[in-house]
Amino acid sequence: MVEVPEYTVLAVASVLGVLLAERFWWRTGLLRTAQFWVAMGIVFFFQTLVDGWLTKLRAPIVIYNPAHLTGIRVPFDIPVEDYAFGFSMVSLTLVAWVRLGRRHESPAPERPR
Amino acid sequence: MQDRYQYLLLMASCLVITLPLEFVLRARVYRRWRQLVRALLPVLGIFLVWDWVGIVRGHWQYSDRYTTGILLPFGIPVEEFVFFVVVPICGVLTYEAVGTVLGRVRPAGRAGSEPGLGSAASSGFGGEVVDG
Repeated sequence: MVEVPEYTVLAVASVLGVLLAERFWWRTGLLRTAQFWVAMGIVFFFQTLVDGWLTKLRAPIVIYNPAHLTGIRVPFDIPVEDYAFGFSMVSLTLVAWVRLGRRHESPAPERPR
Repeated sequence: MQDRYQYLLLMASCLVITLPLEFVLRARVYRRWRQLVRALLPVLGIFLVWDWVGIVRGHWQYSDRYTTGILLPFGIPVEEFVFFVVVPICGVLTYEAVGTVLGRVRPAGRAGSEPGLGSAASSGFGGEVVDG
């Protein structure tokens, strides 16, 4: 019986969860905007710096159990799963932010009934 | 060097580095603090649970040397709570700042005007509407 790398599974599942929830529930259209993807690109760049510091094997702040990872750690010593984790966390935040913003800014829906 | 503040200092530096986005690129995220707090709540809930699962299932642990040792209920380091507040804030600031820049470079587009933008992008600009 092969041991399941649980963090890998959860990380992938979280991304799928966000994508499915956006597609069928939230429907903000956020993932179809340049603004989102440019922002995510910038976020991933800075994640590499911050997460690189947190996970560096020389002096780690967060210590991972190798049994629950794929073991792919790039760049620096960042577990590849962390990028999925980061994507889910930030995109969930932005979806919530955009949904709340619309509610505040457009109290009267333009759509005719 | 106070090693045990290292994680917290890293988080503080994230806030300091992104702070100019609020003003220089008119992100207006802190200014809409009520909307910000409400946007953070679901993320905090879900990711604190995930963090707890990771701790309990032994996916990860935290350095005694580089953290304060202050634990929240369920054994979650206070630094992790800070992380789940700070990083999403940085993400929203980035998103709004990008919105400002894209609005600025878009030809014949007044920042905050709707046409030509993706439906979600429009809400990003905030226009003159300020929450609180």
